[in-house]
Amino acid sequence: MAGRRRLTPYLLLFPGAAWLIVFFVVPMYYMARLSLDSGTLETGFRFTWQWSNYGDALTLYQDPFIRAFEYAGAATVIALLIGYPLAYAIAFRGGKWKNAMLFAVIAPFFTTYLVRTIAWETILSDQSPVVSFLDSIGLAPGGHILATASAVIAGITYNFLPFMVLPIYASLERIDPRLIEAGKDLYASSRAAFVRVTLPLSAPGIIAGTLLTFIPAAGDYVNAFFLGGTNNKMIGNVIQGLYLNVRDYPAAAALSFVLMAVIMIVVFVYIRFAGSESLMGEEGARA
Amino acid sequence: MEATTAPAPYVRRESLLRRAWNWLREHAINIYAGFAIAYLLIPIAVIILFSFNDPAGKYNFTWVAFTLDHWKSVFSISELNSALLTSLRLALFATVIATAIGTLMAIALVRHRFFGRRTANFLIVVPMATPEIVMGASLLSFFLILGTPTLGFSTLLIAHIMFCISFVVVVVRSRLIGFDRSLEEAAQDLGANAFQTFRLVTLPLIMPGILAAALLAFALSVDDFVVSNFNSGTTVTFPLYIFGAAQRGIPVEVNAVATILFVGTLIAMGFTVLQQRRAERLAAVRPPQEAP
Amino acid sequence: MLNAWGSTDGAGPPNGRVPGLRLLIIAGLALAASLAIAACGGGDDGGIESGSGGDVETVQVSGKPSGDLTISNWPLYIDKQTVPDFEKATGVSVKYIEDVNDNVEFFGKVQPLLAKGESGGRSIMVVTDWMAKKMYDLGYVQNLDKSAIPNVEKNIVPSLRGRPFDPNNDFAVPWQSGMTGLVVRTDLAPDIKSICDLFDPKYKGKVDMLTEMRDTVPLVMKCEGVDLSQATEQDWLDAIDKIGQAADDGQIRRFTGNDYARDLTSGDAVAVIGWSGDAIQLQADNPDIKFVMPKEGCMLWSDNMVIPVGAPNPTAAEAWMNYVYDPKNQAQITDWNYYVSPVSGVKEILQKIDPPAAKSELIFPSEQFTAKCDAAPPLTGEEETKVTQAFNAVVSG
Repeated sequence: MAGRRRLTPYLLLFPGAAWLIVFFVVPMYYMARLSLDSGTLETGFRFTWQWSNYGDALTLYQDPFIRAFEYAGAATVIALLIGYPLAYAIAFRGGKWKNAMLFAVIAPFFTTYLVRTIAWETILSDQSPVVSFLDSIGLAPGGHILATASAVIAGITYNFLPFMVLPIYASLERIDPRLIEAGKDLYASSRAAFVRVTLPLSAPGIIAGTLLTFIPAAGDYVNAFFLGGTNNKMIGNVIQGLYLNVRDYPAAAALSFVLMAVIMIVVFVYIRFAGSESLMGEEGARA
Repeated sequence: MEATTAPAPYVRRESLLRRAWNWLREHAINIYAGFAIAYLLIPIAVIILFSFNDPAGKYNFTWVAFTLDHWKSVFSISELNSALLTSLRLALFATVIATAIGTLMAIALVRHRFFGRRTANFLIVVPMATPEIVMGASLLSFFLILGTPTLGFSTLLIAHIMFCISFVVVVVRSRLIGFDRSLEEAAQDLGANAFQTFRLVTLPLIMPGILAAALLAFALSVDDFVVSNFNSGTTVTFPLYIFGAAQRGIPVEVNAVATILFVGTLIAMGFTVLQQRRAERLAAVRPPQEAP
Repeated sequence: MLNAWGSTDGAGPPNGRVPGLRLLIIAGLALAASLAIAACGGGDDGGIESGSGGDVETVQVSGKPSGDLTISNWPLYIDKQTVPDFEKATGVSVKYIEDVNDNVEFFGKVQPLLAKGESGGRSIMVVTDWMAKKMYDLGYVQNLDKSAIPNVEKNIVPSLRGRPFDPNNDFAVPWQSGMTGLVVRTDLAPDIKSICDLFDPKYKGKVDMLTEMRDTVPLVMKCEGVDLSQATEQDWLDAIDKIGQAADDGQIRRFTGNDYARDLTSGDAVAVIGWSGDAIQLQADNPDIKFVMPKEGCMLWSDNMVIPVGAPNPTAAEAWMNYVYDPKNQAQITDWNYYVSPVSGVKEILQKIDPPAAKSELIFPSEQFTAKCDAAPPLTGEEETKVTQAFNAVVSG
């Protein structure tokens, strides 16, 4: 009986773990291998330890690479600035509107990613009333937002805002209100109570939110494709072009690998600095 | 204590200002939230609005006139229909399989302690945190080098199941964590074996979580663009159709279809919430307290 | 006791140890090890095969056309009546898919199938001339059985006979032909008359160019005064440099496919490199949008029907080709597309049903109109790789 019980978790786990390993972990190996191939689509690809693929690709495409991190960073910061107060409002001032507000936050997800990005193309086009308005208050130099970096950053921010709001909301919601009460008693002003009590307690949410926003944003290409101009391409556009248009698989694989490596470094540094247990859901699992 | 009285009108005016200011400070954050939510909903409004547009040419970017024509012909474009059907079929299969696999994983992770649990946890989280382009590109590399299966529906299905599993696990797990074991224990006290307990007590109670996970998986699958773009071969899903059509003018019918999907998902979500409320009420069943 | 992280069970960061770090290290070592093992084999990355080259098959036409016919074509390239009419006339059931958005992209999609001798169900694909030649050289396309397509031989316009890449129309039958030049908002930019004008700082940020390398780069080469029949690899690279510079400066707003039409319609762009057929269609919506023949000349191209290897129904495919080369049927297509018709006799028919179209230089260009126009100069395999890489870096970077 004890023997069978010990097997149960592994049996339950097996299909999922196997699927993930075969179709997530193993492909990474293949991508690494492809990145060291040489050849073209016509002549065939051979594995030749061609490390120069990395060097060549990085020199050729360093601009979009850097730009991707810049745009993703900017969008993450803006999303944090917009999203935190929103999450706060929902958690503490939501009352009976809480569910409706949460619905509103998730609602954009119910329209296809592409369709809502293209909607921004309409909203931000040179002729639109929105742009004219922004131009009149001086926020749109040249009367022209589409095909600039601002449009791309705005698109990324919009598309990933729910990823920022929801984790922050979740962690704010879990805060025991008695702690805040105590804080207000101790610190006399509600602002100090916020900074000393609420903010630190919501830190896991902030961390999760920033990571969940930054990581996919860095590899995004849809926003740059529709909203950006010639100078606003991100590394995602390059990788997509190389894989699907030019079919230069080794270079594309090399770039994907570097992208993933850089992101993982950023994440590990961030997590090490800020702590990870709450992210991995460890606490709950101890039940 | 002596009450000092200032001339009445003077006091009232000052406190009015003060009150207004206080009201603003109190509600500033709500007002802000209102703007933020409006910001989130504007593109949706634009999408729905432009489904009623009657553009002169191929491009649906400027408002011309109101018409219901495109709603009447919403299913008249055969490529759009077949793309939509492909997406729905794909999502259905992916959801069923991913939800089943993911639920099993969640149960294992929450209910059991075993060697490798932390690794398994990690394995779940990493796909959620990987940029889609890396996932899509690596799967493509995998299929290309292996040479099989041919890029198409099967590769799409594999990919979709892969990225849905993690999300299913997370949702079901959070549901399982908050689960009151005492009901299960009660069932076992009454003579049910493990399987019966699971089927008759556990499963119905976590069903809202499973449904929510399934809905999430379905939405993720229908909406997926990046991973599909890399692994679809010549198969066209709904987002891929839009991407192709974006080059030459997206038909207004696409907006109509997007609106239908939106409303449909909204309804499904509402349904899940109702289910959840119902399950909570069931779980809260307790025998009436007897006086000691 | 509550800790700083609001949890009661002591979970929280400070020891900073990351679960799964161990896993990562193991994974990394495994990766390195397997790469090392793979290197010892020095293997071919098997599934990514190259073409069979050389042996070109010839279509075997047998009996009357019947069954199903799947055609892959560019979007918005056919009117709504032709397919039903064909189905009625022959009894063949046609599946018409508009999945060719870009030559290179399409090639990438079908190449894995074609390399294995399959066509994914297609019996006809429509690709631009240079791509047709490339596919033919790789053995992905079949020679045609000319006996089943007498209309083609009879009616193909003289200018499309004897083309250098397929002198006898052995494998490529033109679907439509066209010109790439300037498409301009004449109300916003009346004085744009040459490709070089696109680089005028006056129009900074309001100019689009095509992602189709063989349209954009040769035109810019023409602006630089290069004689395309003598173009060298360096000429290509120089032109690409010039384009790259303009892109970096913000002179070029976007590189587009068909979607330059959107920028023109909204006025976000005032002049673009674009296609003649689109210009006519756009003009219908906005009379100020006109095709302007550049001073340096234009690019001439043809999109061609080819029968891929592994085509399931070549008989019906050739029946289709024969059908659309009947001037009556072709007139219907041309009257919708407004591209240059490859079939003689269409002009006379259009004179009766759509006189303005019959008079259009864009649909029936005179010798004089296209005097300075060229086809894209060919590139060898190595040149192509280098040039494509450079262009791609400009367009995506």
